[in-house]
Amino acid sequence: MIKVSNLSFSYHKAEGPVLSGINLEFDRRSTAIIGQNGAGKTTFVKLLKGLLKPDEGDILIQNHSVKLKTAAELARTVGLVFQNPNDQIFKRTVLEEAMFGLLNIKMGRHTAENQAIKALKLVNLDDKLEMNPHDLSLSEKKLLCIASIVAMDPDIIILDEPTIAQDHAGKKIISQIIKELAEKEKLVMTIIHDMDFVAENFERTIVFNEGKVLLDGETRDVFAQKDILQEANVEAPGITQLAEKLGFEHTILTVEEFIKAVK
Amino acid sequence: MKSISLYVDRESFVHDVDPITKLIYILFAILVPIILPSFTVSFICVGISLLLILAAGVFRKTLPIFGFVFLVLITVVIIQGLFRPENETVLFQIGPFAMYQEGLHYALKITLRVVNIVGAFMILVLTTKPSHLVESLVRKGMSPRIGYVIVSVFQIIPEMMASMSTITDAQRSRGMETEGNLLVRIKAFLPLLGPVVLGSLINTKERAMALEVRGFNSRTPKTYLNVEKTYAYSKGIQALLLLLIVGAVAWRIFL
Repeated sequence: MIKVSNLSFSYHKAEGPVLSGINLEFDRRSTAIIGQNGAGKTTFVKLLKGLLKPDEGDILIQNHSVKLKTAAELARTVGLVFQNPNDQIFKRTVLEEAMFGLLNIKMGRHTAENQAIKALKLVNLDDKLEMNPHDLSLSEKKLLCIASIVAMDPDIIILDEPTIAQDHAGKKIISQIIKELAEKEKLVMTIIHDMDFVAENFERTIVFNEGKVLLDGETRDVFAQKDILQEANVEAPGITQLAEKLGFEHTILTVEEFIKAVK
Repeated sequence: MKSISLYVDRESFVHDVDPITKLIYILFAILVPIILPSFTVSFICVGISLLLILAAGVFRKTLPIFGFVFLVLITVVIIQGLFRPENETVLFQIGPFAMYQEGLHYALKITLRVVNIVGAFMILVLTTKPSHLVESLVRKGMSPRIGYVIVSVFQIIPEMMASMSTITDAQRSRGMETEGNLLVRIKAFLPLLGPVVLGSLINTKERAMALEVRGFNSRTPKTYLNVEKTYAYSKGIQALLLLLIVGAVAWRIFL
């Protein structure tokens, strides 16, 4: 779906590249991008979204170069949920907020409303349609932002730090949405620091470090490589570390797996 | 934190001098040529300012500002040279226009004054961090509230610009066209102002609470984050500058 070849990017020439020599291919597997702050993760997804243009190399999304499209044109194909909901929230009511993107891609009002309500149902906000989004709690605002992108039904959805400010129930909703999108053959990507959430929900994990790809593979294989993870200052989920210290043979990713292995 | 200012971070004795001394220098550079309106004095003052700018290593940064100032001054030269009422002696002729000596003389006086004032301010602005300047003023007795207002203006504007660009990105991500001709841009820009302004109002509320929690309105004397920068010769320089101003007044009155 996405092919990244020899991608380099810098904000200021003098400060050196933020990303250099990145080659990646994305298929339909749900993918988590992890790494320290400043490793270039957000810059990378902004490039995918066409918000920034690469200095060198190219990105092909469904065989079209992003260089030739504006971010707005890419909106039908790639959806990006921003980290801070206050940057995204824009309209006076929850419903209008969810409809905003749909109207931008020239969908009729009636269909847009139906799609928006459907997406809001996914995040349990369909009972707050007429509320001002700024009166929602932070976690609800984040869910609203996710819904407003999901409503647009893009083939690729990128979530920047979706689990911030979410309690267990919120995380469960997000996890459910990721599963449903995967079933619909969509590519879900995320930038995230919550390793437990990665282990439970994402098939593939990519580790960024200092603007380069350090590790890339099945989530289980990635979390097995303790030494390389340490180099990127990333820690495997608690349960994975516990299993490893107890001398388990296989890499454990979730509590359920752990319990099964003990039994 | 990002801040708008023309401050250039360099090592030089001009940078080491405390802001108060620089303020007194500005006073000196403005007052003395007014008290003693001779070209020699003006030239000396401009010369001193230029030397200090050169010594601070910030000359290059002054060029665009001087460039702008000269653009304005050229109109002064032309208008005064052509039309000043006292004009009598024709200096030279360009086509049908005659330039007069009196007008040009006056224009030179104005030019020197302006360059002098701009130069003196430039020393302060280019070699002093706004926060340092405000801190020294607060130490001298300015209300810390006013100090805070001044410092925060320097920070809030870049912050609003940054949030404007993030909000624009977020809306572009949802298919709002912001690239293209002027009309498209204007249509995109106006609705974006709402969230930016609203966002900064929300921030202001949070900022006020954060300040209050840290005792902003407490009446006990404030302490300072930075150690006071003292320059060994500040007192001497300040005394000398004030003495020169008084001397200039005396010169004007008695001689």
